[in-house]
Amino acid sequence: MGEFVIRMPDVGEGVAEAELVEWHVKPGDPVREDMVLAAVMTDKATVEIPSPVDGVVLWLGAEIGDTVAVKAPLLRIEIAGEGEAETPSPQRGEGARRADEGALPPAVTPLSSPPSEPPPSSGPAGPLLPAGEKGKEARPLASPAVRLRAQEAGVDLRQVAGSGPAGRISHDDLDRFLARGEEPAAMPAGLARRTGTEEIKVTGLRRRIAEKMRLAASRIPHITYVEEVDVTDLEELRATMNAARKPGQPKLTILPFLIRALVRTLAEQPGINATFDDEAGVVTRHAAVHVGIATQTPSGLTVPVVRHAEARTLWDAAAELARLAEAARNGTAAREELSGSTITITSLGALGGIVTTPIINHPEVAIVGVNKIATRPVWDGAQFIPRKIMNLSSSFDHRIVDGWDAAVFVQRVRALLETPALIFIEG
Amino acid sequence: MARMTMIEAVRSAMDVSMGRDDGVVVFGEDVGYFGGVFRATQGLQAKYGKTRCFDAPINESGILGVAIGMAAYGLKPCVEIQFADYMYPAYDQITQEAARIRYRSNGDFTCPIVVRMPTGGGIFGGQTHSQSPEALFTHVCGLKVVVPSNPYDAKGLLIAAIEDPDPVMFLEPKRLYNGPFDGHHERPVTPWSKHPLGEVPEGHYTIPIGKAEIRRPGGAVTVVAYGTMVHVALAAAEETGIDAEVIDLRSLLPLDLDTIVESVRKTGRCVVVHEATLTSGFGGEIAALVQEHCFYSLEAPVARVTGWDTPYPHAQEWDYFPGPARVGRALQDVMEG
Amino acid sequence: MNEVPHLSLHVPEPAVRPGGQPDFSNVKIAKAGAVPRPAVDVAPEEIRDLAYSIIRVLNREGEAVGPWAGLLSDEELLAGLRDMMKLRAFDARMLMAQRQGKTSFYMQHLGEEAVSCAFRKALSKGDMNFPTYRQAGLLIADGYPMVEMMNQIYSNEADPLRGRQLPIMYSSKAHGFFTISGNLATQYVQAVGWAMASAIRNDTKIAAAWIGDGSTAESDFHSALVFASTYKAPVILNIVNNQWAISTFQGIARGGSGTFAARGLGFGIPALRVDGNDYLAVHAVAKWAAERARRNLGPTLVEYVTYRVGAHSTSDDPSAYRPKTESEAWPLGDPVLRLKKHLILRGVWSEERHAQAEAEILDEVIAAQKEAERHGTLHAGGKPSVRDIFEGVYAEMPAHIRRQRQKAGF
Repeated sequence: MGEFVIRMPDVGEGVAEAELVEWHVKPGDPVREDMVLAAVMTDKATVEIPSPVDGVVLWLGAEIGDTVAVKAPLLRIEIAGEGEAETPSPQRGEGARRADEGALPPAVTPLSSPPSEPPPSSGPAGPLLPAGEKGKEARPLASPAVRLRAQEAGVDLRQVAGSGPAGRISHDDLDRFLARGEEPAAMPAGLARRTGTEEIKVTGLRRRIAEKMRLAASRIPHITYVEEVDVTDLEELRATMNAARKPGQPKLTILPFLIRALVRTLAEQPGINATFDDEAGVVTRHAAVHVGIATQTPSGLTVPVVRHAEARTLWDAAAELARLAEAARNGTAAREELSGSTITITSLGALGGIVTTPIINHPEVAIVGVNKIATRPVWDGAQFIPRKIMNLSSSFDHRIVDGWDAAVFVQRVRALLETPALIFIEG
Repeated sequence: MARMTMIEAVRSAMDVSMGRDDGVVVFGEDVGYFGGVFRATQGLQAKYGKTRCFDAPINESGILGVAIGMAAYGLKPCVEIQFADYMYPAYDQITQEAARIRYRSNGDFTCPIVVRMPTGGGIFGGQTHSQSPEALFTHVCGLKVVVPSNPYDAKGLLIAAIEDPDPVMFLEPKRLYNGPFDGHHERPVTPWSKHPLGEVPEGHYTIPIGKAEIRRPGGAVTVVAYGTMVHVALAAAEETGIDAEVIDLRSLLPLDLDTIVESVRKTGRCVVVHEATLTSGFGGEIAALVQEHCFYSLEAPVARVTGWDTPYPHAQEWDYFPGPARVGRALQDVMEG
Repeated sequence: MNEVPHLSLHVPEPAVRPGGQPDFSNVKIAKAGAVPRPAVDVAPEEIRDLAYSIIRVLNREGEAVGPWAGLLSDEELLAGLRDMMKLRAFDARMLMAQRQGKTSFYMQHLGEEAVSCAFRKALSKGDMNFPTYRQAGLLIADGYPMVEMMNQIYSNEADPLRGRQLPIMYSSKAHGFFTISGNLATQYVQAVGWAMASAIRNDTKIAAAWIGDGSTAESDFHSALVFASTYKAPVILNIVNNQWAISTFQGIARGGSGTFAARGLGFGIPALRVDGNDYLAVHAVAKWAAERARRNLGPTLVEYVTYRVGAHSTSDDPSAYRPKTESEAWPLGDPVLRLKKHLILRGVWSEERHAQAEAEILDEVIAAQKEAERHGTLHAGGKPSVRDIFEGVYAEMPAHIRRQRQKAGF
């Protein structure tokens, strides 16, 4: 059973609130879709609120005479199946982008004023500076072009005498200052002291990433499990397949193999292909496997989604990966292509390191991190032999996934990757 | 090639367009038999018949509404509003209808119309025959706004406007109809026949909407102008001896920002000139864009030389009109700043 | 010295206000069949009285009588009844959907279904309507898919207008339905322009302009009549007089003119008044006007006398300004019930078949609604992309809009 929350609809062109004038139901009452539940009155009209669902009334959110804000919960209805009312629309939901969270590179705001701060004031009791001295502490007058040159030269414009109107500093003034060989110019070449700072405003995609990471890291107790996978056979197979690939087929990376392995494993452990709405206390298990691929783009991290991985062949998954990566990097990926994943893979490719502690793509419950493949000596009982080893660093939402299940999951994926033939065997 | 005044160039543009496409229709107040109060449509009715070029009732919202309906049918109306000052009754049809039909219908219907209107002062027209309302159009998304400064551009831009798939406001500086007026009202008028841009091909050609033209290259200061003010700015540069680069915008919307930015980054100084009133004028938009894109190249504040924030007076016309003396002073100030 | 009396301002008032007894004694109803049917090439000045009467075909007993009767077959009338029932069911479902928070706004046709449904059948393929917000019957009667209409109302991912327009501001060139503006009266003169274009091209198509009683006060109404009259444009100038402009009674727009139709007379435009709740009369008059237009005889002004039974929109509550029972007192009855009665009298319809048709139509509308909702509703499910904000302002996106789109992150 699920719960459906009916909120006060905006019944008329931007009305902010409405007065509840009549209940047609009480808790415990069964309701049918389209049945009138309540009447509300705005300053424009009195209107009836019909039910959008079948179910049983659990809770009424207002007394007659109460004023209820638009979008505030009006009543809760128990419905068959999973709750829907709070399902956010894709645009607002997970992984989606909104207009106010642009994906432009962060704005760089170079400080136009020099870095060294005036000496701190000695407080309210301190002596007032004489007018002339005060003037010296004020912002020097200079055109933006002069400021830029001064900043690049590391010159504090307060040290430069201005000869223009009202003491404005001209390019000539700056030239004279530099020619005198004052402090910055006196520094040995190549070892110039750098004093500027640069404030980078966190906006757009960067801000969205920041918020998402904070949300995921603060809300989800992560358990991270790292295991070594021997991919020697897989790499051989991959090389063979790539060598024999038909024209038009994309080059296979490790990712399509991993996707196939995940699909196989998730069929056995559906609890890991899930999303968790911790406010509603509902875990939604998904029949479809939509694999998010954390991807670095010029403007930051995005997660294009290989939809319905369960219905894709290896080559198909590879082609889709190539297409999405391209679209994400060009910024041409559609909103639908950047949201709605049920599990995520993160890979830093050649920079993959030994171990990562990936942060779950909220509200999913698992993320699989791919580390760098390295050839390492492995003791086979008689001797050291070179094997290609890749670590998988995977995090799970510990509220939903127990350590044991996490370990079983990773071991199963490992088994499939170490014996890649298994990936292709049905059943 | 032929020598043409700006009026002849405008007429030639309509003539060429009507000859090439029988969907082009021309109408407005007095434009039919008589050929328009400025003679821009002279001879077109005789040549193309009175269902292609005809007189309209004195009803600007009707002229626009009818043009929009014709465009929805599939014609390409090119209408004349007798003076830009008479445009206001049609403003609802222009801003809420013409400009939005493509958008609101998701391209199901479109509005390829051209609205020609004589604009600006300098002819002792008083407050109702001298206005420059271009900023009222540049503020409206969905419109294109064009202001030519010479016969050659006027023809190429008008043909481009007629062929454009979206509504174009085509403002013709009426003081330029007969010659490149530089603001020196006390001197005899120079005719277009003595100006290289009075050389106009007789056939079909277009000038792309959205491309500015540098009329005078220079390194000291960028002057952004359009329409009559292009010639005023050129005179001011000559008379002050300041090495000004004069940009003729030609199209205000879409705007050739690249040309402006490239020039200001080079000169570090910018003066915007228009005849329209100052506050919320198009110069404010240029100034904002220049500081946004060229801030660290600026040596001085961006200056604006415009009509005063008053109605256009009659007797004091030349104290209102931003002539070469005022532009020249602004150039000197900006060079000192 | 003469005593000059002080002036006083006249402000018209409706006959009754809430709490009063509904009174339509001001609506003079001609007997069905009483108004003659002139030849289409009649001189306008010979039929001036048609602007003050009401053309009616269906009488109180449900019979079709008089010179305007007899144009439609049983099948056509049955289809017309179905169109009106469909529009009514569609309205009821969408009104409910708005109350369920699935969209922001809705406007219904209750009581006015005959006007747009019957009118559409008098036009031919390729003709163009310039409608207001209360002529969805033009689409329904032309077979435009209800799912598309709902997608537009829900502003969902399948919305043909990509979420840009207020609900019910449909657009369909293919169905002769010009994009609805939402501004009042602007489309009236545009229709005249479209008709002039058709004439310039020596085409055979005609246009239909639509306006409500209240909006005839706009200057665009005057503009349209001037241009239509001057150029004898092949256009039907429709005025739907449903008595109410939101809360303002029709007398405020009409002023001292006897009827809205009479406004055409000063322009030399033939002007007819017709019972807007009589499917047969609406169709017959529309057909007459269409024939005039198509024979290059020029424009016709038609006033449809009807009554807005419902609220102006979902933001309105008419009980604040008119008696609650006023609609029951409306002397021209209900268009659906009147046609139903006529068809039963003709022996081609019955109460049982009507009830069955009602159920079938409701099923059809609900099925369309479910399909539309699979594509999302205003606040849930799929919606148009933010990218769509920036597309389509111009044929080709200029640089400054592209920069803004990028700033928005798309």
